[in-house]
Amino acid sequence: MATSELKSDAVMEQMKQHLATDAGKELTKKIGLVYQINIAPKKIGFDEVVYIVDLKKGQLTKGPCEEGKPDATFSFKDEDFIKVATGKMNPQIAFMRGAMKIKGSLSAAQKFTPDIFPKPSKL
Amino acid sequence: MAMRELVTGGAACAVPGSSSSSNPLGALANALIGSSSKNQERLKEIPVATPTGPEQFFQDGDPLRALPGSEQGRAFLPPNAQGSEFLRTFHSAYQNDLADAWDDVQSGPLHPVVSDMRVGTSPQLPPNLDGPPQRMLSGLLHTFVDSSRGGIPFHPPKLPLLGLSERDKQCIRDRSTIMARHFFADKSEDFINSQVNALLHSLDIDSDARAKGPLPGRYRELEEYWNESQGMMRHVPHVADGWANEFKELRLNHGNPEFWAHSFEQQHGANGWASEFEQGQSQLMTADRMRGVNVPNIAAMEQTRILAHTLAQNSDPKFQNSKFLQFVSKMSRGELIIDDNQVKPAPGDWASEFQQQYNSGPSWADEYLRNHGPDQWADEFAAKSEHVESADGQWVNEFSKLHMNDWVEEFGQNVAEGAFGEGTSNDWANAYDEYMNEQIAMKQRSDSSRGVYVFSDLNPYVGHPNPLKEGQELFRKGLLSEAILALEAEVMKNPNNSEGWRLLGITHAENDDDQQAIAAMLKAEEADPSNLEVLLALGVSHTNELEQAAALRYLYGWLHHHPKYKSLSSPEMPPSFYHADVAGLFNEAAQMSPEDADVHVVLGVLYNLSREYERAIASFQTALNLKPNDYSLWNKLGATKANSVQSADAISAYQRALDLKPNYVRAWANMGISYANQGMYEESIPYYVRALTMNPKADNAWQYLRISLSSASRHDMLEACNSRNLDALQKEFPL
Repeated sequence: MATSELKSDAVMEQMKQHLATDAGKELTKKIGLVYQINIAPKKIGFDEVVYIVDLKKGQLTKGPCEEGKPDATFSFKDEDFIKVATGKMNPQIAFMRGAMKIKGSLSAAQKFTPDIFPKPSKL
Repeated sequence: MAMRELVTGGAACAVPGSSSSSNPLGALANALIGSSSKNQERLKEIPVATPTGPEQFFQDGDPLRALPGSEQGRAFLPPNAQGSEFLRTFHSAYQNDLADAWDDVQSGPLHPVVSDMRVGTSPQLPPNLDGPPQRMLSGLLHTFVDSSRGGIPFHPPKLPLLGLSERDKQCIRDRSTIMARHFFADKSEDFINSQVNALLHSLDIDSDARAKGPLPGRYRELEEYWNESQGMMRHVPHVADGWANEFKELRLNHGNPEFWAHSFEQQHGANGWASEFEQGQSQLMTADRMRGVNVPNIAAMEQTRILAHTLAQNSDPKFQNSKFLQFVSKMSRGELIIDDNQVKPAPGDWASEFQQQYNSGPSWADEYLRNHGPDQWADEFAAKSEHVESADGQWVNEFSKLHMNDWVEEFGQNVAEGAFGEGTSNDWANAYDEYMNEQIAMKQRSDSSRGVYVFSDLNPYVGHPNPLKEGQELFRKGLLSEAILALEAEVMKNPNNSEGWRLLGITHAENDDDQQAIAAMLKAEEADPSNLEVLLALGVSHTNELEQAAALRYLYGWLHHHPKYKSLSSPEMPPSFYHADVAGLFNEAAQMSPEDADVHVVLGVLYNLSREYERAIASFQTALNLKPNDYSLWNKLGATKANSVQSADAISAYQRALDLKPNYVRAWANMGISYANQGMYEESIPYYVRALTMNPKADNAWQYLRISLSSASRHDMLEACNSRNLDALQKEFPL
């Protein structure tokens, strides 16, 4: 059912495909870290969907299990993630307001900026 | 959140009227110096306003409840004035600038931070970098605590050499470590370390192993303990005084390692410390409610441990052997307690004894006994202590084995990678400005996000005799923003004019403003529920906003209201929609009449929803074959391609759209997006600028422009972007 899908799914899908392109390969060279992103539909910590954005290998997978540990883990609400990924909300602001929670290496977290995500085009 | 509790005293504190917060540093200082006689004298020098000052000030701390993660959502309107007044009183009282610096650090920062959080007020005070070194230092420390309290990364501005002595440096280092650990109790280790190192680095203080600070690595459990224990403590006045005094003394006596201990002894006598301490304790104990295990003694022990450790760092044998140190060590190990103005060895059931002797804290003791029997605390504590590797002196040793090296390495790396460089600090400041702007704009946006249309101010078309016609003309000519104004005038005159609303919605969509488009279209739908174009437009806009369910509903509605295809749909609208079903229905419709481009358009939109991009592209192609001059179709095709990561192909589709309609803001913005998604940030910038020239209100485009600018390392133009200075941007980035 459509409502059970997160809006973030769309962005993640696009990101997944993006990683396969040249621009995506650039990203892996530039960043080379593994991020785990937990997206919760309503409230952080509940019913989270886990995505692993592997910017070392250039893959994006849904679901927690992967080899090794992520360099940084982020937790968002669905809407807030969209805002950050499209640049509507600055990650520092998000962090300050508690819309984004971070665990793990701070330097890795600082590299997580909106520009690593491709933007959706409007019909 | 630990930090919030630290400062605001926890949610459960029910001390009305008085400040319900605590400052661990203050408590420590208070414990160390407290209300000694000498201090009393000093205090008398201070104007009477002071004792109430901290309370007011700490009430300012309440707004911090609304900091990250707060579910209480209290409105905060802190009295800024009180904070400044408090500051002023301190300034007047102490001539020692550096002491002032610490006062500022203690008391000042909250009010700037609070003003940050308020909507629409002036932005955070920048560190005061003029003036004498002490002022600079205070400014820097200001910012550090600001950022700490705000829970945001600390980006120190560059400071010249402040000429801090070794002693100063050591003190600053120690204190800031403590502070950082408290503020960031629930953040990551690395975060704490990098914050402190940022501060230290800008002050040119060595943060290497020489600094065996009092608070080291693994400290989590004790942090929690600390927080809990502090949670209920009522704020005691004279907080900052204690700090200032101590600091002042230290500063005046450089290079005399024993001075500190001796000064205590001088001031208060070896036992005087104990008496102050117990005074401090009794103040702590008179807090109204305390949660179970969280005993002031834990706090006291914490403090004494810190104290002991700091003192122990000094390897001067005289120091080590001083009675004072031994006394403090014993205190820290819980072998002694302060009881009834005397120092006694700790009894097993101190809680019951305590209850007998201190009737001022009955509820606390009762509760404690109720919750835990007297021994349980000791057990728990012992258990916890073991967890931190034993309850006695080993604790101290353990802490000496710091993880300082980790800090330093990471910090070194960060500096090398420019993580703390100028760029990021600018970004941060800019981000802050954006936040303020966002707050202001938020009201507008939140209205339209709920489908409420936001009219523009100063509409020149309001008195126009036939604004609808005017609007249509303007739309045809491609002057979208003007058309919007005219159409708004129309619908203000005739709120039920569905055509007016419809056109308004379409214009907004073409202007790349889906929010307003949706709001307008909803009105149009109200006026005319069966208008197919309206339904389609609603479907499209919701798809763009990633609102799947709503989009499906409108697209289904399109089918439902279509005279030809309504037979395909069921008579009443089903409550929920499955994408596959709806798509199936549309495919049937397409088979019914393959020449109907609209059906294919809807199909294309549907497939976009389900991200079946190949099918969507095919549908749009079919539609385009039937209607080759429909610019919006070209845009849709382009967008579909772009979303399926065929950005290069998308660009040619957009170009076709723009050929047909040169002022198609959405297409311009989409072009920019396509370049940016391919990593061609430089190329994307002029497209965004062009889109913005046509519609300065296109917020999306502003965000994307910002991203492109910083990715292309055009930080120089970021300022222009933030201030929405179109002229400068246009000059710099012509197409």
